[in-house]
Amino acid sequence: MAGSESMFAWLGERIKGRDSRNVFLIAPLAAFELAFFVIPFLILVRMSLNASAQAGPYQPGFTLGAYRAVFASDLYRQLVAFSFELGVAATVISVFLALFYAYAAYRADGLRKSLLLFSIILPLLTTLVVKTYAWRPLLAPRGVLNDVLLGLGVIGSPIQFAPGIVGTVIGQVYIVFPYAVLSIYSVLSTMDWDTVEAARDLGASRPRSFLEVVVPEALPGIAVATVVSFAWSVGAYAAPSQLGSGAQTTFAMEIESLMLTQFDYPTGAALSLLMLAAMLVVSLGVLRLLTGSIGGVEGV
Amino acid sequence: MASVTLSGLRKEYGDLTAVDGLDLDVDDGELLCLLGPSGCGKSTTLRMLGGLETPTDGDVHIGDEPVTDQPPYERNTSMVFQSWALFPRKSVIENVAFGLKMDGVSEDERRERAREMLDVVEMGEFVDHDPTDLSGGQKQRVALARSLAIEPDVLLLDEPLSNLDKRLREQMQLELRNIHDAVETTFVHVTHDQNEAFTLADSIAIMHDGDIEQIGAPREVYDDPVSLFIEEFLGDTNLVDATVAEVTETGVIADTAFDTEVDVRTGDAAVAQGDGLSVSFRPEELDVERVEGTDGDGASAVTGEITDVLYRGSTVRFYVDLGGEHLFFEQSVGADTAFSAGDVVRVSWDPDDLLAFAADGARVGRGET
Repeated sequence: MAGSESMFAWLGERIKGRDSRNVFLIAPLAAFELAFFVIPFLILVRMSLNASAQAGPYQPGFTLGAYRAVFASDLYRQLVAFSFELGVAATVISVFLALFYAYAAYRADGLRKSLLLFSIILPLLTTLVVKTYAWRPLLAPRGVLNDVLLGLGVIGSPIQFAPGIVGTVIGQVYIVFPYAVLSIYSVLSTMDWDTVEAARDLGASRPRSFLEVVVPEALPGIAVATVVSFAWSVGAYAAPSQLGSGAQTTFAMEIESLMLTQFDYPTGAALSLLMLAAMLVVSLGVLRLLTGSIGGVEGV
Repeated sequence: MASVTLSGLRKEYGDLTAVDGLDLDVDDGELLCLLGPSGCGKSTTLRMLGGLETPTDGDVHIGDEPVTDQPPYERNTSMVFQSWALFPRKSVIENVAFGLKMDGVSEDERRERAREMLDVVEMGEFVDHDPTDLSGGQKQRVALARSLAIEPDVLLLDEPLSNLDKRLREQMQLELRNIHDAVETTFVHVTHDQNEAFTLADSIAIMHDGDIEQIGAPREVYDDPVSLFIEEFLGDTNLVDATVAEVTETGVIADTAFDTEVDVRTGDAAVAQGDGLSVSFRPEELDVERVEGTDGDGASAVTGEITDVLYRGSTVRFYVDLGGEHLFFEQSVGADTAFSAGDVVRVSWDPDDLLAFAADGARVGRGET
């Protein structure tokens, strides 16, 4: 009894303390993260150290064999290279377009502003698979886009946008574009329009004032948009699997195949962890590069 | 350095007319204050001068050059914004050197000139600071230096002092005056604060409903307002309703709301018996003394009882009851003749100091007194 009383007293003291109140507030989130992120992650790490097996998904043990297999394979190297290329392409296109879209939304007011922002939020209400799939009839060889281009006489014979690389990139840009716009818009919306007018008043043309004032102001948003777009696009699955051909296989699709078709858990786990590490390094690098220039003294 | 001419300037936003056919000449090197209540179109006028708004109609000339359709980056005006609008991602000296950078001035030269400008506004020690860390007064100085660095023909100031506290604002008014004298540039300064306009301006243009109601030297405008609007806007005054009882050689005898007939020197202005007037008894023109009884009432004096005493910092305001109608006058705190509520006083004035306005707000007998 004495033991439990002192335990309650200790607990009471802890709850009263300011530091421990924060601990209690954060506890549900920490438990959730532990159960659904940390523990599965540790299971993944452990799985990657097992050996591949002929019969069954894996052979229990401690070996780096799966990692060696990933590094030795030309196929995986190609898949990873393609994943990064797709990531860079989708990121550059979506962030570039998002900067102008966010600026247009910032400048607009009334109904036009609402429409611009609403049409960005609207696709987020639909599931990823449905909206990616919706691009197929538009981009197919006998789809809407080809009909229009043929009808206008721009092209002589149909082009296969999808399945193919064009469809894959369009689909992936479409997926990440809203997040890129919102990241940039959230930063731009706090910008004082007077500063742009001041730049023009001091002799900066419209494009120059955009480069000198708007872009630097949007930089934190551009950094976030870049990291989100890149991390998501490197790990692309839905767009390449629905709008790509066999040549547009990303490492995420290969992992799915290793886990669910080839039943090679250790190799799938090893590939996952290696890509996770690679993306972490690249994302931190990008973030540092873009945010490092913020507040730094530029050439006067 | 250049003169400015605005002719027939109009700006409409849909159904709303912000500026309504305004004409204005600003002399080379002059410091002109555009003064008016909010919504009178003074900022819109300034923005059209700077090219930040396009006029619906009318012309803007700077010097002899027509600039109506020139974008802001092509005309040599520079604006100091109410929010100061410093570039938050650039250091103080980068802000000041920005205009020179746009003009293609070499890096060494623009750095040197920006530094000189910062010395002029006494911000020399803050060159490498982040502008977001500066106080309001410091930001204001940097904004001023940034605008002056490009040596504009006309410096436009859009209420740049209105976000500062009273003491700093008064100090900056004097400094602006000194800077204007030092740089010899034409300044157009927009403000809603009549004290600021009186302190700063070579001439004041008072705006009302999108047009200039009166323009002139501060003293001139104050002593000789053209309308009731100006009289009310320039300072607190006692406006008393009256009716013309009799037209005399020197003006009229007006029957006032406090039941006394007073002389008003409107000269031979066209007024007729029975016309309604507003008569302004400026508080600083009233002489007040303590009396017994109401013997002294007449054409330029009334007697009443002090009902309220209001302390307003350095001055005290007294309200005198004149049978339902009130007049107020002010004294410095610590003046010898301190009155208190309940005192019976005689209020007198020189008839030449009364200003009369007709029912439509126009001054009656201007230039006659």
